[in-house]
Amino acid sequence: MINMKPIHKGAEADIFLEKAFGRTLAVKARNPKRYRVESLDRSLRKTRTKREAKAMYLASRAGINVPALYAIGRFSMCMEWIEGKLMKDSRQKQSVYVDLGEQLGLLHKAGIAHGDFTTANVLIKEGKPYLIDFGLSEITTSIEEKAIDLILMKRSISKRDFSAMTGSYVKAYPDARKVLDRLSEIEERGRYKTRTLG
Amino acid sequence: MRIIGIESSAHTLGIGIVSSGKVLANKKLMYDVGTTGMIPNKVAEFHIGNISTVIKAAVEGAGIRITDIDGVGYTRGPGLGPCLSVGQLAAKTIAATIGVPIAPVNHGIGHIEIAKAFSHTKDPLVIYVSGGNSQILKRHGRRYRVLGETFDIGIGNMFDSFARKLKLSPAWGSTVEKKAKGGRYMAMPFTVKGMDFSFTGLQTHAAKLAGKASENDVCFSLRETAFAMVCEAAERAILLTNSRELIVCGGVAQSARLQEMLHDVAREHRVRFGFAPNEYNADNGAMIAYVAERMLQNGADTPLNECDIEQRYRLENVVVY
Repeated sequence: MINMKPIHKGAEADIFLEKAFGRTLAVKARNPKRYRVESLDRSLRKTRTKREAKAMYLASRAGINVPALYAIGRFSMCMEWIEGKLMKDSRQKQSVYVDLGEQLGLLHKAGIAHGDFTTANVLIKEGKPYLIDFGLSEITTSIEEKAIDLILMKRSISKRDFSAMTGSYVKAYPDARKVLDRLSEIEERGRYKTRTLG
Repeated sequence: MRIIGIESSAHTLGIGIVSSGKVLANKKLMYDVGTTGMIPNKVAEFHIGNISTVIKAAVEGAGIRITDIDGVGYTRGPGLGPCLSVGQLAAKTIAATIGVPIAPVNHGIGHIEIAKAFSHTKDPLVIYVSGGNSQILKRHGRRYRVLGETFDIGIGNMFDSFARKLKLSPAWGSTVEKKAKGGRYMAMPFTVKGMDFSFTGLQTHAAKLAGKASENDVCFSLRETAFAMVCEAAERAILLTNSRELIVCGGVAQSARLQEMLHDVAREHRVRFGFAPNEYNADNGAMIAYVAERMLQNGADTPLNECDIEQRYRLENVVVY
């Protein structure tokens, strides 16, 4: 199965498609990286697979749009194939950002920080956002981790879209204000001042 | 054009002479950090004491006289204020005395452009790793855009401060790297967020282990973890930008291990990989002269009375020629 050509090659995992039970499944495999020493490589692949599975399970239980998880291996997992387009690859309607803010609010309310929350990790299917790639996620109460989710997204979308997103984020997540305050604090730390484009 | 470049932002006092993009001389002296690290005023004193000697060595090394110089470049920032001032003063003095144009240069742009020149790359994804900086950049129009960077301290600073913690001498990263030889891997915090990373968790963890676990093992694990974090962020940036070229530059780019790891990343994505000889990865005057020459060729000279320094000079604000 791993000899197939991946449909997507990522920095820490590849995605393969497989047909089973009359439907298409996505297999996410964390293959070894030659640049890492073996014990670091194995431990990263293992903990991230486990962490991702747990975060996806908790997220789907909290009613968040994530692919359904079918099976978990040591370094790989098998999940529903969402046939959508990556958010970064096309222009989105304002309503997508509103929905996205709500999804992130629910995720944070469920105690999960995504860890790589960019438009490259959101799929749009029939106008609805699906959150994918929980490999760097953290099950956490940390306001800082959640604020970093917002920073990463803020950097990849326009100011207007970001404020549409935060509007619904605040409604979905009771502690949202604290996270937004931390966001400005991190930006004030200096390194970030000139980061955002447009 | 023959351009003299003066670099004095940190412990290195570097003077380089460049003509038509070719390095004619690259001389430097380094302040000895001992076990204490850098004390800005002490480093500045060192630069003041040595700058005329190093300028003389560079001019003689290039086989020219100081009056043959057609333009001056100096590091405007980022760096330590007192140290930057020494280079600024020397540069203004030369420019005023012999009546040639002057260009204030961003230190990071210096590292990037000289690495591009030596690696013969045109539009690479840039991994800039030094004491105070750890950034992933890509040119976007006339400026560099920061795709990812450290949330807290530079990777070099992390190694340097760990070296001080272990009381190694000289107290900087390359000494930690030497101690890493033959070490075994111990688990360490691994913090990558997309294309950004954080080193303080790793630093604290390693500091706690100092004196308890084997020095070799801790140094080895610290190095492997920190570099793997940079590699993962780099890999993500290659995929995001579809870059076909990758370079690494800055002081930490001297590490043979980091070069090897990034080479593996590049191979996996069939990306061309390059870097400058170590003399130019470390701070140096030639890179400042190299950038200054391009600036002056494009009419980007600065009036003498506007030649200032900027300790926190961000490189994404700089127009690149």
